[in-house]
Amino acid sequence: MSTDAIKLMINGVGHSVAGVTAGTTLLTVLREKLALTGAKRGCNQGVCGACTVMVDGAPMRSCLSLAANCTDQDITTVEGLALDGALSSVQQEFVSGNAVQCGFCSPGIMISAHALLRGNRALTAEEVRAGLSGNLCRCSGYKKIVEAIVKASETRP
Amino acid sequence: MELVKPDSLDAAVDALQEDGAACLSGGATLVAMMNSDLVAPDRLVSLRNIPALRHVRYQADGSVVIGAMRHHRETAQETNFRDGQSVISEAARQIANPPVRNMGTMGGSCAFFDPAADYPPALVAADARFLLRSSEGHRTVSADDFFVDWYETALKDGELIEFVVIPPAHSGSIGNYTKLARVSGDFAIASVALVMAMEEEVCSYLAVAVGACGPKPARSREGEADIMGGRLDNSAIARLTDALDALLDPVDDVRASAEYRRRVAPRMVRQAIRKAQKVLSEVR
Repeated sequence: MSTDAIKLMINGVGHSVAGVTAGTTLLTVLREKLALTGAKRGCNQGVCGACTVMVDGAPMRSCLSLAANCTDQDITTVEGLALDGALSSVQQEFVSGNAVQCGFCSPGIMISAHALLRGNRALTAEEVRAGLSGNLCRCSGYKKIVEAIVKASETRP
Repeated sequence: MELVKPDSLDAAVDALQEDGAACLSGGATLVAMMNSDLVAPDRLVSLRNIPALRHVRYQADGSVVIGAMRHHRETAQETNFRDGQSVISEAARQIANPPVRNMGTMGGSCAFFDPAADYPPALVAADARFLLRSSEGHRTVSADDFFVDWYETALKDGELIEFVVIPPAHSGSIGNYTKLARVSGDFAIASVALVMAMEEEVCSYLAVAVGACGPKPARSREGEADIMGGRLDNSAIARLTDALDALLDPVDDVRASAEYRRRVAPRMVRQAIRKAQKVLSEVR
Protein backbone atom coordinates (compact mmCIF):
# COMPACT_ATOMS: atom_id res chain seq x y z
CA MET A 1 0.00 0.00 0.00
CA SER A 2 1.45 3.34 -1.01
CA THR A 3 1.31 6.44 1.09
CA ASP A 4 1.69 10.02 -0.05
CA ALA A 5 5.14 11.22 -1.00
CA ILE A 6 7.38 11.63 2.04
CA LYS A 7 9.98 14.32 2.57
CA LEU A 8 13.47 13.36 3.68
CA MET A 9 16.51 15.54 4.40
CA ILE A 10 19.60 13.70 3.23
CA ASN A 11 23.11 15.14 3.14
CA GLY A 12 21.64 18.61 3.44
CA VAL A 13 19.31 18.19 0.46
CA GLY A 14 15.54 17.86 0.70
CA HIS A 15 14.00 14.96 -1.24
CA SER A 16 10.37 14.17 -1.93
CA VAL A 17 9.98 10.43 -2.40
CA ALA A 18 6.82 8.81 -3.76
CA GLY A 19 5.70 5.20 -3.49
CA VAL A 20 7.01 4.59 0.01
CA THR A 21 4.91 2.07 1.99
CA ALA A 22 4.71 2.09 5.79
CA GLY A 23 7.10 -0.85 6.03
CA THR A 24 9.74 0.52 3.64
CA THR A 25 13.07 0.99 5.35
CA LEU A 26 15.28 4.04 5.00
CA LEU A 27 17.94 1.75 3.49
CA THR A 28 15.58 0.69 0.70
CA VAL A 29 14.69 4.30 -0.06
CA LEU A 30 18.34 5.36 -0.13
CA ARG A 31 19.40 2.56 -2.44
CA GLU A 32 16.39 1.97 -4.64
CA LYS A 33 14.67 5.35 -4.83
CA LEU A 34 17.53 7.83 -4.49
CA ALA A 35 20.45 5.85 -5.98
CA LEU A 36 22.50 6.53 -2.85
CA THR A 37 24.09 3.08 -2.80
CA GLY A 38 26.88 3.79 -0.29
CA ALA A 39 24.89 2.28 2.58
CA LYS A 40 24.86 -1.49 2.00
CA ARG A 41 22.30 -4.20 2.72
CA GLY A 42 24.19 -6.94 4.54
CA CYS A 43 22.09 -8.75 7.12
CA ASN A 44 19.00 -6.49 7.08
CA GLN A 45 18.77 -7.29 10.81
CA GLY A 46 20.82 -4.52 12.37
CA VAL A 47 23.73 -6.80 13.16
CA CYS A 48 26.39 -6.21 10.48
CA GLY A 49 26.53 -2.40 10.40
CA ALA A 50 27.00 -2.07 6.62
CA CYS A 51 23.87 0.12 6.39
CA THR A 52 24.90 2.54 9.16
CA VAL A 53 24.02 6.20 8.51
CA MET A 54 24.05 9.30 10.70
CA VAL A 55 20.62 10.35 11.97
CA ASP A 56 20.52 13.68 13.80
CA GLY A 57 24.23 13.32 14.42
CA ALA A 58 24.22 9.76 15.81
CA PRO A 59 25.06 6.58 13.89
CA MET A 60 22.02 4.34 13.40
CA ARG A 61 20.92 1.39 11.28
CA SER A 62 19.09 2.47 8.12
CA CYS A 63 17.81 -1.12 7.72
CA LEU A 64 15.95 -0.82 11.05
CA SER A 65 14.60 2.67 10.36
CA LEU A 66 11.28 3.06 8.56
CA ALA A 67 11.60 5.84 5.99
CA ALA A 68 8.17 7.29 6.79
CA ASN A 69 9.27 7.63 10.42
CA CYS A 70 12.40 9.65 9.48
CA THR A 71 10.70 12.65 7.90
CA ASP A 72 11.73 15.13 10.59
CA GLN A 73 15.34 13.98 10.81
CA ASP A 74 18.68 15.05 9.42
CA ILE A 75 20.30 12.10 7.63
CA THR A 76 23.93 11.84 6.51
CA THR A 77 25.19 8.97 4.36
CA VAL A 78 28.74 8.20 3.27
CA GLU A 79 28.03 10.24 0.13
CA GLY A 80 27.71 13.30 2.36
CA LEU A 81 31.04 13.00 4.18
CA ALA A 82 33.22 14.69 1.57
CA LEU A 83 32.88 18.49 1.52
CA ASP A 84 33.11 20.26 -1.85
CA GLY A 85 34.79 17.24 -3.38
CA ALA A 86 37.48 17.04 -0.67
CA LEU A 87 37.60 13.73 1.20
CA SER A 88 37.15 13.88 4.96
CA SER A 89 40.20 13.10 7.11
CA VAL A 90 38.81 9.62 7.81
CA GLN A 91 38.27 8.92 4.11
CA GLN A 92 41.75 10.25 3.31
CA GLU A 93 43.36 8.00 5.95
CA PHE A 94 41.45 4.97 4.61
CA VAL A 95 42.99 5.67 1.21
CA SER A 96 46.52 6.38 2.49
CA GLY A 97 46.52 3.44 4.89
CA ASN A 98 44.93 0.91 2.48
CA ALA A 99 42.24 0.34 5.09
CA VAL A 100 39.86 -1.07 2.48
CA GLN A 101 39.69 -4.55 1.05
CA CYS A 102 36.37 -5.43 -0.62
CA GLY A 103 34.85 -2.16 0.60
CA PHE A 104 31.43 -3.49 1.59
CA CYS A 105 31.78 -2.49 5.25
CA SER A 106 33.65 0.78 4.59
CA PRO A 107 30.69 3.22 4.31
CA GLY A 108 29.20 2.06 7.61
CA ILE A 109 32.58 2.10 9.31
CA MET A 110 33.31 5.62 8.08
CA ILE A 111 29.99 6.83 9.49
CA SER A 112 30.78 5.27 12.89
CA ALA A 113 34.28 6.79 12.69
CA HIS A 114 32.91 10.27 12.03
CA ALA A 115 30.70 9.96 15.11
CA LEU A 116 33.76 8.93 17.15
CA LEU A 117 35.83 11.84 15.91
CA ARG A 118 33.37 14.41 17.13
CA GLY A 119 35.04 14.46 20.56
CA ASN A 120 37.85 16.55 19.08
CA ARG A 121 40.79 14.75 20.66
CA ALA A 122 43.15 11.92 19.73
CA LEU A 123 41.56 8.50 20.16
CA THR A 124 43.18 5.31 21.46
CA ALA A 125 42.92 2.09 19.47
CA GLU A 126 40.81 0.70 22.31
CA GLU A 127 38.28 3.54 22.00
CA VAL A 128 38.11 3.07 18.24
CA ARG A 129 37.52 -0.68 18.60
CA ALA A 130 34.69 -0.05 21.09
CA GLY A 131 33.18 2.53 18.73
CA LEU A 132 33.34 0.11 15.81
CA SER A 133 31.90 -2.83 17.75
CA GLY A 134 28.72 -2.59 15.68
CA ASN A 135 30.48 -2.79 12.30
CA LEU A 136 31.62 -6.12 10.92
CA CYS A 137 34.43 -6.56 8.35
CA ARG A 138 34.71 -10.09 6.99
CA CYS A 139 37.75 -9.59 4.74
CA SER A 140 40.86 -9.04 6.70
CA GLY A 141 40.36 -7.97 10.24
CA TYR A 142 40.37 -4.51 11.63
CA LYS A 143 44.01 -3.53 12.14
CA LYS A 144 44.39 -1.08 9.25
CA ILE A 145 40.90 0.28 9.77
CA VAL A 146 41.60 1.04 13.44
CA GLU A 147 44.98 2.54 12.57
CA ALA A 148 43.45 4.79 9.92
CA ILE A 149 40.85 6.14 12.35
CA VAL A 150 43.39 6.68 15.14
CA LYS A 151 45.56 8.56 12.65
CA ALA A 152 42.62 10.65 11.45
CA SER A 153 41.90 11.57 15.07
CA GLU A 154 45.51 12.73 15.52
CA THR A 155 45.89 14.65 12.29
CA ARG A 156 42.54 16.24 11.63
CA PRO A 157 42.55 20.02 11.27
CA MET B 1 0.12 -1.70 6.79
CA GLU B 2 -0.11 1.91 7.89
CA LEU B 3 2.13 4.10 10.03
CA VAL B 4 0.59 6.69 12.32
CA LYS B 5 2.50 9.20 14.43
CA PRO B 6 0.32 10.41 17.30
CA ASP B 7 1.60 13.42 19.23
CA SER B 8 0.09 12.59 22.61
CA LEU B 9 -0.19 9.58 24.86
CA ASP B 10 -4.00 9.65 24.66
CA ALA B 11 -3.88 9.65 20.86
CA ALA B 12 -1.38 6.78 20.96
CA VAL B 13 -3.54 4.52 23.13
CA ASP B 14 -6.53 5.37 20.92
CA ALA B 15 -4.54 4.39 17.83
CA LEU B 16 -3.58 1.10 19.53
CA GLN B 17 -7.22 0.00 19.87
CA GLU B 18 -7.36 -1.41 16.36
CA ASP B 19 -6.71 -5.14 15.90
CA GLY B 20 -3.20 -5.78 14.66
CA ALA B 21 -1.80 -2.48 15.92
CA ALA B 22 1.72 -2.43 17.37
CA CYS B 23 3.88 0.26 18.95
CA LEU B 24 6.99 1.30 17.07
CA SER B 25 9.63 2.84 19.32
CA GLY B 26 13.27 2.65 18.19
CA GLY B 27 12.72 -0.08 15.59
CA ALA B 28 15.75 -2.08 16.70
CA THR B 29 13.59 -5.13 17.39
CA LEU B 30 10.29 -4.66 15.58
CA VAL B 31 11.71 -3.64 12.18
CA ALA B 32 14.22 -6.52 12.31
CA MET B 33 11.26 -8.88 12.84
CA MET B 34 9.36 -7.25 9.98
CA ASN B 35 12.39 -7.57 7.68
CA SER B 36 12.41 -11.32 8.45
CA ASP B 37 8.65 -11.64 7.74
CA LEU B 38 8.11 -12.82 11.31
CA VAL B 39 5.57 -10.11 12.10
CA ALA B 40 3.38 -7.91 9.92
CA PRO B 41 1.35 -5.46 12.03
CA ASP B 42 -1.62 -3.85 10.28
CA ARG B 43 -0.90 -0.55 11.96
CA LEU B 44 2.33 0.81 13.36
CA VAL B 45 1.90 3.42 16.06
CA SER B 46 5.13 5.41 16.11
CA LEU B 47 5.84 6.87 19.56
CA ARG B 48 8.50 9.23 18.23
CA ASN B 49 6.39 12.40 18.46
CA ILE B 50 5.56 12.02 22.16
CA PRO B 51 8.44 13.82 23.89
CA ALA B 52 7.30 12.86 27.41
CA LEU B 53 8.16 9.24 26.67
CA ARG B 54 11.80 10.20 26.10
CA HIS B 55 12.29 11.85 29.48
CA VAL B 56 13.83 10.71 32.73
CA ARG B 57 12.49 12.08 36.01
CA TYR B 58 13.97 12.02 39.49
CA GLN B 59 11.58 11.78 42.40
CA ALA B 60 12.08 13.07 45.91
CA ASP B 61 12.20 9.56 47.36
CA GLY B 62 15.16 8.69 45.08
CA SER B 63 13.17 6.84 42.42
CA VAL B 64 14.37 7.25 38.85
CA VAL B 65 11.52 7.20 36.34
CA ILE B 66 12.62 6.23 32.83
CA GLY B 67 10.36 6.98 29.87
CA ALA B 68 9.67 3.99 27.63
CA MET B 69 11.30 5.74 24.63
CA ARG B 70 14.54 6.51 26.44
CA HIS B 71 17.44 5.12 24.41
CA HIS B 72 19.94 2.60 25.78
CA ARG B 73 22.71 5.15 25.20
CA GLU B 74 20.99 7.67 27.48
CA THR B 75 20.33 5.11 30.21
CA ALA B 76 23.93 3.86 29.95
CA GLN B 77 25.11 7.44 30.61
CA GLU B 78 22.60 8.18 33.38
CA THR B 79 24.45 9.83 36.27
CA ASN B 80 21.60 10.10 38.76
CA PHE B 81 21.35 6.46 39.76
CA ARG B 82 22.24 6.06 43.42
CA ASP B 83 23.55 2.98 45.22
CA GLY B 84 22.51 -0.29 43.58
CA GLN B 85 20.29 1.44 40.99
CA SER B 86 23.44 1.51 38.86
CA VAL B 87 22.78 -2.12 37.93
CA ILE B 88 20.46 -0.61 35.29
CA SER B 89 23.11 1.60 33.63
CA GLU B 90 25.63 -1.26 33.81
CA ALA B 91 23.20 -3.46 31.87
CA ALA B 92 22.45 -0.69 29.36
CA ARG B 93 26.16 -0.24 28.63
CA GLN B 94 26.41 -3.90 27.62
CA ILE B 95 23.51 -3.95 25.16
CA ALA B 96 24.59 -4.59 21.55
CA ASN B 97 26.76 -1.80 20.07
CA PRO B 98 26.74 2.02 19.72
CA PRO B 99 24.35 2.38 16.73
CA VAL B 100 21.84 -0.04 18.28
CA ARG B 101 22.12 1.74 21.65
CA ASN B 102 21.31 4.98 19.80
CA MET B 103 18.11 3.43 18.44
CA GLY B 104 16.84 0.86 20.92
CA THR B 105 14.66 1.86 23.87
CA MET B 106 13.91 0.42 27.30
CA GLY B 107 10.21 0.09 26.46
CA GLY B 108 10.85 -1.56 23.11
CA SER B 109 13.34 -4.05 24.49
CA CYS B 110 11.12 -4.99 27.45
CA ALA B 111 7.91 -5.24 25.39
CA PHE B 112 9.57 -7.73 23.06
CA PHE B 113 11.20 -9.58 26.00
CA ASP B 114 13.92 -11.74 24.64
CA PRO B 115 14.89 -13.59 27.85
CA ALA B 116 18.56 -13.27 26.82
CA ALA B 117 18.29 -9.46 26.71
CA ASP B 118 20.09 -7.36 29.32
CA TYR B 119 17.39 -5.21 30.92
CA PRO B 120 15.08 -7.96 32.23
CA PRO B 121 17.39 -9.44 34.92
CA ALA B 122 18.65 -5.96 35.87
CA LEU B 123 15.09 -4.62 36.29
CA VAL B 124 14.04 -7.67 38.31
CA ALA B 125 17.08 -7.34 40.61
CA ALA B 126 16.34 -3.62 41.04
CA ASP B 127 12.66 -4.30 41.95
CA ALA B 128 11.59 -2.03 39.09
CA ARG B 129 7.93 -1.36 38.27
CA PHE B 130 6.25 -0.84 34.89
CA LEU B 131 3.55 1.76 34.38
CA LEU B 132 1.27 0.43 31.63
CA ARG B 133 -1.32 2.61 29.93
CA SER B 134 -4.38 1.83 27.82
CA SER B 135 -7.56 3.66 26.86
CA GLU B 136 -9.06 2.37 30.11
CA GLY B 137 -6.44 3.95 32.34
CA HIS B 138 -3.19 2.76 33.79
CA ARG B 139 -1.83 0.07 36.09
CA THR B 140 1.48 -0.74 37.72
CA VAL B 141 3.14 -4.14 37.38
CA SER B 142 6.35 -5.29 39.07
CA ALA B 143 9.19 -6.34 36.78
CA ASP B 144 8.88 -9.82 38.24
CA ASP B 145 5.25 -10.02 37.07
CA PHE B 146 5.81 -8.11 33.81
CA PHE B 147 8.16 -10.75 32.36
CA VAL B 148 5.89 -13.78 32.07
CA ASP B 149 7.38 -16.38 29.74
CA TRP B 150 9.58 -16.62 26.64
CA TYR B 151 8.72 -13.50 24.59
CA GLU B 152 5.56 -13.02 26.65
CA THR B 153 4.86 -10.07 28.94
CA ALA B 154 1.95 -8.80 31.02
CA LEU B 155 1.07 -6.29 28.26
CA LYS B 156 -2.48 -6.71 26.98
CA ASP B 157 -3.78 -5.76 23.55
CA GLY B 158 -4.12 -1.99 23.32
CA GLU B 159 -1.72 -1.38 26.21
CA LEU B 160 1.69 0.30 26.09
CA ILE B 161 4.57 0.87 28.48
CA GLU B 162 4.62 4.52 29.55
CA PHE B 163 7.59 4.40 31.90
CA VAL B 164 9.66 2.21 34.19
CA VAL B 165 10.26 3.17 37.83
CA ILE B 166 13.59 2.27 39.40
CA PRO B 167 12.95 2.56 43.15
CA PRO B 168 15.67 3.76 45.53
CA ALA B 169 18.13 0.97 46.26
CA HIS B 170 19.19 -0.18 49.73
CA SER B 171 21.38 2.54 51.23
CA GLY B 172 25.06 1.82 50.67
CA SER B 173 24.39 -0.98 48.20
CA ILE B 174 26.19 -1.38 44.89
CA GLY B 175 24.87 -2.82 41.63
CA ASN B 176 26.69 -4.91 39.09
CA TYR B 177 25.75 -6.69 35.91
CA THR B 178 27.84 -9.53 34.52
CA LYS B 179 27.23 -11.00 31.10
CA LEU B 180 28.74 -14.04 29.47
CA ALA B 181 28.48 -13.79 25.67
CA ARG B 182 30.30 -15.16 22.63
CA VAL B 183 31.44 -11.69 21.66
CA SER B 184 30.93 -8.27 23.20
CA GLY B 185 27.45 -7.02 22.36
CA ASP B 186 25.85 -10.39 21.60
CA PHE B 187 22.82 -11.62 23.51
CA ALA B 188 23.80 -13.33 26.76
CA ILE B 189 24.60 -17.01 27.21
CA ALA B 190 23.94 -16.24 30.85
CA SER B 191 23.86 -13.02 32.85
CA VAL B 192 23.76 -12.05 36.51
CA ALA B 193 22.31 -8.81 37.88
CA LEU B 194 23.16 -8.13 41.49
CA VAL B 195 22.42 -5.49 44.14
CA MET B 196 24.29 -5.98 47.41
CA ALA B 197 25.23 -4.21 50.65
CA MET B 198 27.46 -5.23 53.56
CA GLU B 199 27.75 -4.04 57.14
CA GLU B 200 31.17 -5.10 58.34
CA GLU B 201 31.31 -8.82 57.54
CA VAL B 202 27.55 -9.25 57.39
CA CYS B 203 25.51 -9.16 54.19
CA SER B 204 22.80 -6.57 54.90
CA TYR B 205 21.12 -6.68 51.49
CA LEU B 206 21.17 -8.97 48.49
CA ALA B 207 19.11 -9.24 45.29
CA VAL B 208 20.28 -11.52 42.46
CA ALA B 209 18.57 -12.23 39.15
CA VAL B 210 19.89 -14.68 36.57
CA GLY B 211 19.12 -13.96 32.90
CA ALA B 212 19.10 -16.08 29.72
CA CYS B 213 18.69 -19.34 31.65
CA GLY B 214 14.95 -19.88 31.39
CA PRO B 215 11.66 -18.32 30.36
CA LYS B 216 12.13 -15.32 32.67
CA PRO B 217 14.78 -13.90 35.00
CA ALA B 218 15.32 -16.24 37.96
CA ARG B 219 15.31 -14.75 41.44
CA SER B 220 15.03 -16.61 44.74
CA ARG B 221 13.71 -14.32 47.45
CA GLU B 222 13.87 -17.17 49.97
CA GLY B 223 17.50 -17.76 49.08
CA GLU B 224 18.27 -14.06 49.44
CA ALA B 225 16.47 -13.84 52.80
CA ASP B 226 18.45 -16.83 54.01
CA ILE B 227 21.77 -15.14 53.19
CA MET B 228 20.93 -11.65 54.53
CA GLY B 229 22.01 -10.97 58.09
CA GLY B 230 24.80 -13.55 57.97
CA ARG B 231 28.38 -13.85 56.81
CA LEU B 232 29.02 -14.53 53.13
CA ASP B 233 30.82 -17.84 53.53
CA ASN B 234 30.96 -20.51 50.87
CA SER B 235 28.14 -22.55 52.35
CA ALA B 236 25.78 -19.54 52.46
CA ILE B 237 26.52 -18.74 48.82
CA ALA B 238 26.09 -22.40 47.87
CA ARG B 239 22.63 -22.44 49.47
CA LEU B 240 21.67 -19.44 47.34
CA THR B 241 23.04 -20.89 44.09
CA ASP B 242 21.22 -24.17 44.85
CA ALA B 243 17.98 -22.25 45.37
CA LEU B 244 18.54 -20.40 42.09
CA ASP B 245 19.46 -23.57 40.24
CA ALA B 246 16.07 -25.03 41.10
CA LEU B 247 14.45 -22.07 39.31
CA LEU B 248 16.51 -22.26 36.10
CA ASP B 249 15.00 -23.87 33.02
CA PRO B 250 17.59 -23.27 30.29
CA VAL B 251 17.32 -24.52 26.71
CA ASP B 252 19.86 -25.42 24.04
CA ASP B 253 20.29 -22.72 21.44
CA VAL B 254 22.86 -21.42 18.98
CA ARG B 255 24.78 -19.70 21.78
CA ALA B 256 25.18 -22.56 24.27
CA SER B 257 23.65 -25.79 25.52
CA ALA B 258 21.25 -25.94 28.45
CA GLU B 259 23.79 -28.05 30.34
CA TYR B 260 26.51 -25.45 29.85
CA ARG B 261 24.21 -22.71 31.14
CA ARG B 262 23.41 -24.74 34.26
CA ARG B 263 27.12 -25.14 34.85
CA VAL B 264 28.16 -21.51 34.42
CA ALA B 265 25.21 -19.70 36.02
CA PRO B 266 26.00 -20.67 39.66
CA ARG B 267 29.67 -19.84 39.13
CA MET B 268 28.75 -16.44 37.71
CA VAL B 269 26.53 -15.76 40.74
CA ARG B 270 29.34 -16.73 43.11
CA GLN B 271 31.84 -14.56 41.22
CA ALA B 272 29.45 -11.60 41.17
CA ILE B 273 28.92 -11.85 44.94
CA ARG B 274 32.66 -12.17 45.63
CA LYS B 275 33.40 -9.23 43.35
CA ALA B 276 30.78 -7.05 45.06
CA GLN B 277 32.12 -8.12 48.46
CA LYS B 278 35.61 -6.97 47.42
CA VAL B 279 34.37 -3.63 46.08
CA LEU B 280 32.32 -3.01 49.23
CA SER B 281 35.24 -3.87 51.53
CA GLU B 282 37.45 -1.40 49.64
CA VAL B 283 34.84 1.35 49.99
CA ARG B 284 34.76 0.92 53.78
